[in-house]
Amino acid sequence: MQPILDGLTLSPWEPGLFSLAIYGLMVLGLVSLLLFFASWLGEKKSNPEKLRPYESGIIPTGSARLRYPVPFFLVAIFFLIFDVEAAYIFSWAISYDSLGWAGWLQISFFIFVLLLGLLYIWKKGGLEWGPTSKQD
Amino acid sequence: MTDLIFNVFILLTIIPCFWVALSSNIVHAAFSLLITLFGIAGLYVLLGADFIGVIQVIVYIGGILVLIIFGVMMTQRGKLLPLSIQLPGKLFGAVLTGVILAALLLSATRTLWPVAAVLGEPQLTSAAIGDLLLGKYLIPFEIASVLLLAALIGAVLIARRSVRGE
Amino acid sequence: MIPENFIQSNLQGISFIGPELILTLAILLILLVGVLLPYWRHRILFTILAVAGLAGSVLPLWKLPQPAPDLTYLSNLFVWDWLTFLSKPFFAVVGVLTILLTQVTGEIDNSEYSECTILVLAVTMGMMLLVASTDLLMIYLAFETMGILSYLLVGIRARDERSGEAALKYVLYGAFTSGTMLFGFSLLFGLAGSTDLLAISQKVAFASQHPQDRLLLIVAILFFLAGLLFKTASFPFHFWCPDVYEGAPTPITAFLSVGPKAAGFVLFIRLFYPLFATGHDATIYEAVSGLDWPSILALVSAITMTLGNLAAIHQNNLKRLLAYSSIAHAGYLLMGIVSLSDLGLRSVVFYLVVYLFMNVGAFAVVAMVASAGGSEEIDSYRGLGARAPYVCVAMAIFLFSLIGLPPFAGFVGKVYLFAAVIYKKIYWLAVVAALNTVISLYYYLRIVKAMFLEKPTETIQIQVPLSSRVLLLALLVPTLGLGIYWQPLARVVSGMF
Repeated sequence: MQPILDGLTLSPWEPGLFSLAIYGLMVLGLVSLLLFFASWLGEKKSNPEKLRPYESGIIPTGSARLRYPVPFFLVAIFFLIFDVEAAYIFSWAISYDSLGWAGWLQISFFIFVLLLGLLYIWKKGGLEWGPTSKQD
Repeated sequence: MTDLIFNVFILLTIIPCFWVALSSNIVHAAFSLLITLFGIAGLYVLLGADFIGVIQVIVYIGGILVLIIFGVMMTQRGKLLPLSIQLPGKLFGAVLTGVILAALLLSATRTLWPVAAVLGEPQLTSAAIGDLLLGKYLIPFEIASVLLLAALIGAVLIARRSVRGE
Repeated sequence: MIPENFIQSNLQGISFIGPELILTLAILLILLVGVLLPYWRHRILFTILAVAGLAGSVLPLWKLPQPAPDLTYLSNLFVWDWLTFLSKPFFAVVGVLTILLTQVTGEIDNSEYSECTILVLAVTMGMMLLVASTDLLMIYLAFETMGILSYLLVGIRARDERSGEAALKYVLYGAFTSGTMLFGFSLLFGLAGSTDLLAISQKVAFASQHPQDRLLLIVAILFFLAGLLFKTASFPFHFWCPDVYEGAPTPITAFLSVGPKAAGFVLFIRLFYPLFATGHDATIYEAVSGLDWPSILALVSAITMTLGNLAAIHQNNLKRLLAYSSIAHAGYLLMGIVSLSDLGLRSVVFYLVVYLFMNVGAFAVVAMVASAGGSEEIDSYRGLGARAPYVCVAMAIFLFSLIGLPPFAGFVGKVYLFAAVIYKKIYWLAVVAALNTVISLYYYLRIVKAMFLEKPTETIQIQVPLSSRVLLLALLVPTLGLGIYWQPLARVVSGMF
């Protein structure tokens, strides 16, 4: 990742923010063009059958807005927490060379604590899918 | 050129905020927040804070926003209820926001911020942050692991309650 | 780039955070026992582990060098002064009392008990770190460790709607106020280019001479106040307090009312005195020129105590009543901060120590009566004096101490606080506080009257187990003892500033 300063190059072929902007504009233009053609050229006869949600050929029953089961949420939280952990480990990995063995020990403690956390949620049935878990 | 892109990111950050605050549909608000967070990530990168930019994308867009949308999906049963705030609340909020905004704008423009005399080419920050996190700020770093551990425990505690509650 | 010197300083400084390390080890141990040894999951085991961890955590303190105001360690993240030295055992005692109270009242289900002890230990660790921190980054991390985990503690009771609602209210208020405070931090960081409080204080002293910079400092102070007034449950950020205190399990309520509240006041001293006050030698400080925050705070103090006391009059639920009383006490404690003198700071610390015992004591009685078959409503206290005399006499003593009547410890604490404001000639605040004490007499004595002078409406037999009685005795001794022989504590406290 190279920070780009103004006025040095304005060639769309050099890697940099200008070429990125050109690229972004082209993508935007292409997508809007395609969408425009699709809506302009396409058939526009609507009937109730067409407006019905498509569920692989089966007639929909009831609303699609169900409450999602709690494990989804739990997994999302676990993801977030380990995501943050990954961000920390990322910072260590980048300066791995200058940190040496001391850094290795420090990050080991960090990972060890979170491994204990993983062990905890595993044993508590936090990773189990389905209505029944061991604890209940 | 960089200024133009910077301004685009500023608009990307600010305009969806109005949707977040004013939309009565919580799903629209959540997706507007996505654009805002993305705009902030862009600002970070343009300011030379590449590490923070990456973290912003990984944690905020990849994690927290997903969590918000999951939260919406989990709690809403049936049709989405429109949110509404009564007029006195709106008025009070508007006045308070106006005062705070004015104070912040005034202080941001009037204050003599210490600005480095020569602005060099922005350096990559990731390696320096890594050195600081595992060097000077080692203790906060390790405390964060304990905090994350306790947060994990808390997540299991709270979610188990709602599993049982159903 | 090469962090060799950091490694050196980390190794040297590690002994100063011995308490936190021991608490971390205790947390990991409890977690492992709870997960790997399911047959050992007895309450008493976790209680012993947690109390041993907390007791062990204060042991390394006495092996350390003499505290000094400028003795910083771990790359200036922490300071080892008398305030730190006294605060760490204080929070350990808070933690021990909470865990013992949970043990004897059985308020938390067995299935959540190990998690509860872990969270209490982790919050205690956060508070210990908070009071020692002199770096904005470390302060915020410790502040959030304390905050986030106390939200979880409030919502820990499964299958209880009120507990969940209280936790949600706490989270929403807490996230808002701590975010505001963080914004204030970022303003000062922008001004000083450093997160170190010492560096910031020099820059603030310099900036306050310039009229252009003053607005920024005022905004920063107001934003700081949001976070601090929330933690101490003061006006205008006190709305969460009654609901959270009522919804949380009673031992946790007791914990919140002394732990994070005390941490908030210590943070007040840590942040406002180096940053926005000058003049160390004369034992009297002055607000940084052009920023009259003590006057704002004096007003906040007066409103807080009046609101708390007036609202407490109408409460019939004892936990709610004590919550409003705790708001009022935040107002009294702010008087010490307002007075801008060493005397004021000493009186805050002295009162916090006294408040720990009497307030935990009052909540302990509420928890014990509720778990022994009564309820938290004042109705179930009618005529309780005849059926459970020991508990009721203890309650009366705690309440008298909370009012500030001699010869109890609360009286001495209040005298110090009043002396601090009168010394600074803020007479109107002293008058307001005196009037408030009179108002508070009414609702505290209402409980005493219900216990001893009214006929019982229920005939449930209240049986308080021996362990509860012993715990009450442990709280009664300091409440009485510090009221009669407070000189040792006063001497320790006066060495601090």
